Amino acid sequence: MAEQAIITLDNLQKTFRVHEREAGAGASMRSLFKRTYKDVKAVEGVTFSVLPGEVVGFLGPNGAGKTTTLKMLSGLLHPTGGEARVLGHIPWKREPDYLRRISLVMGNRNQLMWDIPAMDSFLVNQAIYQVPEKQFRETLDELIELLDLSLLLKKPVRGLSLGERMKCELAAALLHLPSVLFLDEPTLGVDVTMQGRIRQFIASHNARHGATVLLTSHYMADVTALCKRVIVIHQGKLLYDGALEALSDLIAPFKLVRLDVVTEEIAARVKDYGEVTEIEGTKVSLRLPRNETSAVVARLLSELPVVDLTVEDPPIEAVIEQVFKEGVER
Amino acid sequence: MLYWLNVYRANLKMAIAQMLQYRFAILIWAVWGFVGPLISLAVWNAAIAARGVGITNAAGRTFGRSDFTAYFLVFMIFGHLTMSWDAFEFAFRVRDGNLSPRLLKPLHPIHTDVTSNIAFKLTTSAMLLPVWILLFVLLKPAITVSGWSLLLTLPALIIAGILRYLWQYSLAIIAFWTTRVEAINQLFFTVDAFFSGRIAPIALLPGWMGIVAYYSPFRGMGAFPVELALGRVPADQILPGFALQIAWLAVGLVVFRLLWSAGIKQYSAVGA
Repeated sequence: MAEQAIITLDNLQKTFRVHEREAGAGASMRSLFKRTYKDVKAVEGVTFSVLPGEVVGFLGPNGAGKTTTLKMLSGLLHPTGGEARVLGHIPWKREPDYLRRISLVMGNRNQLMWDIPAMDSFLVNQAIYQVPEKQFRETLDELIELLDLSLLLKKPVRGLSLGERMKCELAAALLHLPSVLFLDEPTLGVDVTMQGRIRQFIASHNARHGATVLLTSHYMADVTALCKRVIVIHQGKLLYDGALEALSDLIAPFKLVRLDVVTEEIAARVKDYGEVTEIEGTKVSLRLPRNETSAVVARLLSELPVVDLTVEDPPIEAVIEQVFKEGVER
Repeated sequence: MLYWLNVYRANLKMAIAQMLQYRFAILIWAVWGFVGPLISLAVWNAAIAARGVGITNAAGRTFGRSDFTAYFLVFMIFGHLTMSWDAFEFAFRVRDGNLSPRLLKPLHPIHTDVTSNIAFKLTTSAMLLPVWILLFVLLKPAITVSGWSLLLTLPALIIAGILRYLWQYSLAIIAFWTTRVEAINQLFFTVDAFFSGRIAPIALLPGWMGIVAYYSPFRGMGAFPVELALGRVPADQILPGFALQIAWLAVGLVVFRLLWSAGIKQYSAVGA
C-alpha cells in the first residue's frame, strides 16, 4: 500500500484584495473618498502532497506565492479556495492539537521575546506546548549541542547577532518536536558558515526525529544540501514537482560543453557552433541545446584542433536561478 | 486546570522579567495612572473652594471636599488596577505581521496579553504603593471601610478589570479590518472617561448622561467598585450593579468571540 501523505494540497488558492492608488497628495485625497481595490492572486490552485519524513524544497522567485502557501498550511491565513490537510487537520481551523504538532520558522520574524534571554521564551514554550520535563531537557541538550547554543541562552535576545538569533529561533521552534516543520528562508541574512551549520542541523534533526520539512530558500546550497525533491511555483502556479536532478532536464534543456583548443584564434571560432557563455584564453564554455549536443560535439572534434572537451549538465544553482529570473513556462 | 496554571505562571514570569528591563518606562506609565484622577480631584476641589459649599445633584445629595477626595483616591487605585492598553499593541502587531508568531502557538494570544497586563499591574502597583499611602496620609479622605463592602468590592473590581480588558480587546480586533484602531480607541477612552466616572462621580452627571452612564458597560468598569468600596451604593442597588456588570461581560464575550472568528479570516499576515 502506498504511504499516506502527511501534507496534501488540492487546488489551494489565495487572493488578496489590495487597496491601490497613485503617488502624490492629490491621489491620496481622492482615495479618501473613493477607494480602488485590486485583486492579487497570490496562489492560484496549487496541488501537491508530501510524505512523512520528506524534506521538500519549495522554490520560486519573490512573489511566487511560497510564503502565502506556507502561511495557509500553518493556519495563519484562510485560503480563498481549495483544500489542504496537514496531519489530518484543516490548518486554518487552528485547532490546538494541530498547532502543537507543527512549527513555522520565518527568517524575518521572531517568536523569541526581544528583551530577555531565549531560555525564558523556551520555558514558556515548554508550558504552552505541554512538553514533559524529561523530554524538554533531552531535546534542549540535543539542540544546545547541535546548534552550539550554550553561551547564547543566557543573553538577552536583542544582544545576539542575526545568526545566533536564528539558531535560537530554530531551537524554540523545535523544542516540542513538531512532526511537520515549515521553514521559510531559515538562513536569510546569515553568513556562509552559519548557513552551513543550520543546514547540517536541519538534516540531522530530520534524520533523528523523522520530521517532515517543507523549506523555502533563496540560497540554492540549502536546497541542494537538504532536498531530494523540489516543488517550484511561479506566479502562484505549480511549475514543477519532482526530483531535484530532473529539474534541469525540464527547466534548462541544454548542456554545457567546456573545451580547450590550441590557440586563442581557434577559441574565437567556437562561437559558430553555439552560444559561448565564457571565454578565457584558449578555454571556452559553450551552451548547447540538449538534443543537438552530440552532433555539435562530433563536429567540434572533427573540425577544430581540440585539446580537451567535457560535457556537463548545468549546475542546479544556475537552473534554479534561471527559474527565478525568467519563470520558465512549461 | 494544571495546564492553565503552568501556562499563566510561565508567561507571568517572562512578562515580569520583560517589564523589569524597562524601569523608567514603568515609572512613566505608573505616573500616568495617578495623574488623571488627581487632576479631576484638583478641579472639583477648586470648584468647591470657589462656591464655598459642596456640590448638590438633582437627587439632593451633596458632595463635599472629603467625598471627592475619597472618591478620586480610590478611583486612582482601582483605575490603575483595571487599565488596559492592548488595543494599541494589538493593532501594531496586526499591521506589521508580528501577530503571526503568536498565532502559531496552540494558545489564544489573549492569554499572553492578559499575563502581560497582570505583570504590568503587579510591578507598577509595587512601585506606586508608597505614593498611594503618601497621598492617603496627606489628603486624609473620609473613608469608613466595612467588612462587607470590602468583601463585595473585590469581586466587583475583578469583574471591572476583566470587563474593561475584554471590551478593549474586542476593539483591538477591529484592527484585522482597519489595521489602525487609534481613533476608535481614543473614542472609547473619551466615552469611558465620562461614563465610568473618571471625570465626575456618576451621581453628578446631568440628567440623561447619568442614566446612560448607569446602564452603560463603563460604570461596571470604573465607578461601581469604587462606590462599593466607599459604601455609597444603596443596598438595593448592589445586586443590579453586579447584574449589569455580568450582563455586559457576557455581551463582551459574545462580541469578542464573533469579532475574533470573523477577524482571523481577514488577517493577511502582512510582510513576508
